[in-house]
Amino acid sequence: MALLSVENLSKTFQTPRGAVHAVRDVSFAVARGECLAVVGESGSGKTTIANMILGILAPTQGAIRFDDHALPSRRRPEHRQAIQLVQQNPLSSLNPKRSIGASVRLGLDTYGIGDRAGRWDRVAAALEEVGLPPEMRRRAPSALSGGQRQRVGIARALACEPELLVLDEPTSALDVLVQARVLRLLNDLRARKQLTYIFITHDLAVVRNVADRVAVFKAGELVELGETRQIFTAPAHPYTRGLIGAVPVVDAEELHLRNTLAGEN
Amino acid sequence: MTDLLDIRGLTLGFRGLNGYTEVLHGIDLSIARGERVALVGESGSGKSVTARIILGLLQETRTARVAGRVNFDGRDISSMRARPRAALRGTDMSMIFQDPTSSLNPTFTIGRQFAEVMRRREAGLSQKACEARATAMLEEVSIPDPARVLSAYPFQLSGGMNQRVMIAMALVNNPKLLLADEPGTALDVSVQAQTLTLMQDLVARHNTAVLLISHNLGVVREFADRVYVIYRGRIVETGPTAAIFDRPGHAYTRALMAAVPRITGAGLPEVPEVSDDFLAPMVTHPEAT
Ligand SMILES: Nc1ncnc2c1ncn2[C@@H]1O[C@H](COP(=O)(O)OP(=O)(O)OP(=O)(O)O)[C@@H](O)[C@H]1O
Ligand SMILES: Nc1ncnc2c1ncn2[C@@H]1O[C@H](COP(=O)(O)OP(=O)(O)OP(=O)(O)O)[C@@H](O)[C@H]1O
Ligand SMILES: [Mg+2]
Ligand SMILES: [Mg+2]
Repeated sequence: MALLSVENLSKTFQTPRGAVHAVRDVSFAVARGECLAVVGESGSGKTTIANMILGILAPTQGAIRFDDHALPSRRRPEHRQAIQLVQQNPLSSLNPKRSIGASVRLGLDTYGIGDRAGRWDRVAAALEEVGLPPEMRRRAPSALSGGQRQRVGIARALACEPELLVLDEPTSALDVLVQARVLRLLNDLRARKQLTYIFITHDLAVVRNVADRVAVFKAGELVELGETRQIFTAPAHPYTRGLIGAVPVVDAEELHLRNTLAGEN
Repeated sequence: MTDLLDIRGLTLGFRGLNGYTEVLHGIDLSIARGERVALVGESGSGKSVTARIILGLLQETRTARVAGRVNFDGRDISSMRARPRAALRGTDMSMIFQDPTSSLNPTFTIGRQFAEVMRRREAGLSQKACEARATAMLEEVSIPDPARVLSAYPFQLSGGMNQRVMIAMALVNNPKLLLADEPGTALDVSVQAQTLTLMQDLVARHNTAVLLISHNLGVVREFADRVYVIYRGRIVETGPTAAIFDRPGHAYTRALMAAVPRITGAGLPEVPEVSDDFLAPMVTHPEAT
């Protein structure tokens, strides 16, 4: 059964220069324990969909169901805890006046996770899981590198013990070694705790190796949805073929796959 | 001819709550005019701070201590006064920051911010001229509706659109050196490819040199003439791009290459343990002739 489903979801922004149809009539479902990758062109509505799932934005049309209940537009605390976001932009998502530790701790206090005395240690443990030393708790966000901030975002979301994690470009600022470690950690947690991921990214090589299924968006519409292996070996939509054909690669085998797919256009 | 940028023995440390921590331990790095150089390596190893030193920003930060020589276009940035140093930013050298929101002002429209950048070069530029040039530049980075974007505030644009705006702003004054810190992370691969091609064109047409900082080794391979690999504040390997990719000599570089996820899908790569070999001396590949 699906943990989350979105049904005929649309979002239109009104601007002085007219309406922007950011998301148009999108439907899909994610099963418990699944990792669904969301890819597509820049501005195609991926973050807007994430924000509607999180309850940050209200849909113009359509419904979102979680655990077989329709989600109200004003979320209850248990929903806010169950659905956590790792934001695309690590700097703007951290309060510059709060220490890293205080930022991570905020969720624990809000949702009453663990006893008060143990929370500061929980914060250290959460940071440790993403490869950051406990002393970083006292630092300001501005004293961290881009990749370190991104890991704080992941630690903060995981510390809230969510069921569904919406990850918006969670590893784009990490070197490939740290990225591999964080992706392995996410994979392990998903298996161990039956977590469900919606994984938004432009990195198709990452998608190939972590996602069960892939949803491809273009101009606010869902143009293709399928099993990862099938998307990468026999993409149906020309837009998907074009995307895979543009991936920068490092070895000959990859180059061959890319050229084969590009050749079919 | 001398190099456009020549860095020797650069060190950097921060004074903090836990005392003094050294972050850069003596970096040598040079870029010729029109050359495309990539700086790759560990997260937290000192790539962004190096770029901020080249821009002269960290020299103005109270908690930072910078030493060593940074020559740009025949002048030593570190010993320059704050004013002429600031005048170089956004004109002769410009930067695409890793974090779009840190360089775009949330309270001004994109159009107004563009005009500000262009007037750093040409103070008297008319509103009309600014708009025309900004529109042309936005089209070059494949923004479909430049008029909407110029009248928008950053929060009304997607992450990738903001990043393209920054790229366009960084290039609009034809700088001699472009510092590009992760310019493609928020872009889809087709736009990323277009952006790289655009940056490549620009380099060729205007002899702009580029320091590209990126974790995407595929992008680096396709873009750069030469590569520096940095680990914990030290350069561990340097050479022409092909040599680094075909014959990585340093243990850290080899570990990096092995950890790149592949679109052919062999699963997530094994993560090698951090090894003492990562601290081995620098490997230098001879220049291709
Ligand atoms: N608050 C807003 N007001 C007006 N338009 C908006 C607003 N937020 C987003 N948009 C527009 O909606 C569209 C979709 O934006 P969204 O951020 O969802 O894209 P995205 O797929 O996440 O792109 P990226 O990969 O670049 O992050 C864009 O055209 C954007 O300009
Ligand atoms: N203001 C500061 N005070 C103290 N330490 C700092 C400060 N700014 C940066 N650092 C530290 O300096 C080191 C280098 O940071 P830098 O931002 O250059 O990393 P980077 O190589 O760009 O990493 P990433 O790939 O994650 O962006 C990091 O360990 C960071 O925590
Ligand atoms: Mg987005
Ligand atoms: Mg950085």
